[in-house]
Amino acid sequence: MSHIDRRTFIRRSIQTAVATAAVGALPSLDLLALPVHAAVSPPLAVRKGSDIALLVRQTITALGGMQAFVSPGEVVVVKPNIGWDRSVELAANTHPEVVKTLVLLCLEVGAKQVRIFDRTCNDERRCYAQSGIRAAVETIKSDRVSLEYMDRRAYQELEIRGGRAFDRWEFYQPVLEADRLINVPVAKHHSISRLTLGMKNLMGVIGGNRGRMHSNIAEALTDVSSVIHCDLTVIDATRILVANGPQGGRTEDVRNTQTLIASPDIVAADAYATTLFDLKPEDVSTIVAAAKRGLGVMDLKQVRMV
Amino acid sequence: MKVSSWTYARRISQSFCLALFLWLFLQTEYRGIDQLPYPVSLLFRIDPLAALADFLAPGPFNLTLLWPALLVLLLTVVLGRFFCGWVCPLGATLDGCGKLVGRGRRAFSPGWRRVKYYLLIVLSVATLFGVQLLGLFDPLAIFLRSLTLALYPAYNYGLNRAFDFFYEHQTPLVNDAYPLFRDYLMAFHQPVFALGLFTLLIFLAIILLERVEQRFWCKNICPLGGLLGLCSRFALLQRTPKTLCADCRDCDTLCRSGAVSAGSYRRGECLLCMDCTGYCPADRVSFNMKSTPAVGPGVDLERRGVLTALASGVVIAPVVKIGPVVGDQNPYLLRPPGAVAEAEFLQRCVRCAECMKVCIGLALQPALLQAGPVGLWTPLVVPRNGYCEYNCTLCGQVCPTGAIAPLDLPRKKKAVIGWAVFNKDRCLPYAKGIECLVCEEHCPTGEKAIVFEEKEVLVDGELRRLKFPKVVDKLCIGCGICETKCPIEGASAIRVINEGESRRKRLAASTDPYA
Repeated sequence: MSHIDRRTFIRRSIQTAVATAAVGALPSLDLLALPVHAAVSPPLAVRKGSDIALLVRQTITALGGMQAFVSPGEVVVVKPNIGWDRSVELAANTHPEVVKTLVLLCLEVGAKQVRIFDRTCNDERRCYAQSGIRAAVETIKSDRVSLEYMDRRAYQELEIRGGRAFDRWEFYQPVLEADRLINVPVAKHHSISRLTLGMKNLMGVIGGNRGRMHSNIAEALTDVSSVIHCDLTVIDATRILVANGPQGGRTEDVRNTQTLIASPDIVAADAYATTLFDLKPEDVSTIVAAAKRGLGVMDLKQVRMV
Repeated sequence: MKVSSWTYARRISQSFCLALFLWLFLQTEYRGIDQLPYPVSLLFRIDPLAALADFLAPGPFNLTLLWPALLVLLLTVVLGRFFCGWVCPLGATLDGCGKLVGRGRRAFSPGWRRVKYYLLIVLSVATLFGVQLLGLFDPLAIFLRSLTLALYPAYNYGLNRAFDFFYEHQTPLVNDAYPLFRDYLMAFHQPVFALGLFTLLIFLAIILLERVEQRFWCKNICPLGGLLGLCSRFALLQRTPKTLCADCRDCDTLCRSGAVSAGSYRRGECLLCMDCTGYCPADRVSFNMKSTPAVGPGVDLERRGVLTALASGVVIAPVVKIGPVVGDQNPYLLRPPGAVAEAEFLQRCVRCAECMKVCIGLALQPALLQAGPVGLWTPLVVPRNGYCEYNCTLCGQVCPTGAIAPLDLPRKKKAVIGWAVFNKDRCLPYAKGIECLVCEEHCPTGEKAIVFEEKEVLVDGELRRLKFPKVVDKLCIGCGICETKCPIEGASAIRVINEGESRRKRLAASTDPYA
């Protein structure tokens, strides 16, 4: 693991931010259609702690603070996993406190609007309530924050250039239109993709018959990630589901790991999360496929731990 | 025509009751609270026909649920058919729509009014012998069924299309109103029902009968009207004058219920609309409480008609019962969780459609013939349409007659609707050597009822390692989410059948008689 000093880190962060902003400012360039090329050595922050709000703040601070990802006046989508009608302790959904703290951080750096949603598997009304996320978001009491049910009319079919599993799919327009996307999965067991982490969580911003993706999950999720770029991936591993995922339902399948993983590189974040399950990044085919397509770094030796 | 203040009072009462039942109808939906905060099925808890069905069904009478119906009967004994004139939402609808469709003034033979009593006798006797069809003719069930299965879905469909139009044309003001409508005035998910048109046609037919004669349904067919008419024979609220006056025939031509005729005033027919207190040119009509029941002409039933009705009722039950066991003929006859055994279920269910209205996942659908010839409009779980939410207990909460028992959450999670079965000719890993496992992903039981085995198989000459799902019967509760979410087109490759359902009686020691 290479270490850098604070000055270098700040300088690099500013350079990256300026470069990103400059590229994003070019109106003619269709960012969505381009594969996102991985940074050479992406930063990755991993922190442990039992005070979740503090844990989130420490982890994001390690990456240079939320200002490194969100600029004043921007519209931010925070995409937790709210997929299941399960209560907090069953670890099927992102912890509400993680979601809330990230939203607060976005507000603190001046985000114009923070939108939170997920395309749920159970009834969305039940999921939003049972997950505790509705209650947590409502305590923020800001008109800049909205927890929304996804609008069935707002899906747009896009061509996936270089798609291996699919060449077209429906994507959720508010995600495409947002300035920033913060992906906040919960780390869980999953029988087809082995684990469900950051890349799998992006299935919550696409339309269509999602079950069809299972036939070639690694390439399908890589196709999705090639269209949807996450500015920041924060993996909630405050508690993880190690069996009967992704829905769970038994406390005996939940491990209390008290960990948070964050990186602007979705592949790096996912790769690190495998270690919590005593797996290696190469055990999860999705991570391998995404790394091969250049969406991020899966070799944890090349990741810059901050 | 002069309108008395009684008439205004009656109209206010009708409007209020109609509005109340419509409001309760809109509240019959999950709005973020697991226990419904209002008695949404109040309409059937005050329904004497629902109480009759419950009374004649096996087991003790459910007093805690149905005491309001007894109160209605008691009030009817004192006041007469106030329910028909002042409360009934179908009656209010008919009164309201009468102007719209045009009111007939054809003088029908008074003999027609006996039909409702005969119908009541047929239905009651059949119910007594175990075949309950009261719900098919219950005006309150007809009203709510029409709302649930036809009018409300159509209303939502119309609004959704309108909002879609403005959405596509980017009309900001209308678009901003959409969440408000969706959260309070519309169904969260567009309701989808197979029997919508059929149910609507019956509702329209009843309304169109207004063109023949005002309140044709209430006067001639409604078995609830018949029951309340029988109860009001000795009502203490009495009308003066007791017959048609010698110098005027207005009551004969204007009375909407045909209760006042030459020589008699039939209390059992009077809907207590009170219009006669207004239109009487001499202000002679008044209604007063008396301390002793007056003896007047009763129900003019013919002995021959009564005997025929009794005989028909007696015959219906055994003829229905000699039919084959429908659940064995149709493995997809699935009932909501908590439903009692099929025979008793059919005796209790009054086809009110409350459960179908409240079902959060649109899993419940009205049966046409799937539940046998007498199962019309009873609720079926149709998992390809929607699945039973694991943490939801709403259908048991709204059922007014205990056809679906109100289960608490831990018991509901153990209630077996049926077992899921794979069709290996269509299931992707089995049939095509393609990875899938969507069913396993969604299976909601804590320890999954769908598990998988990993096997190497030869697919098109190539060795593939695939995960093959299978169902663990002792864990499966038949919620049907696997059937809903199965990603293949058309019918699902995994379907829930009624084998293993909790409500079936079987040997205590074992589920398998041959084990």
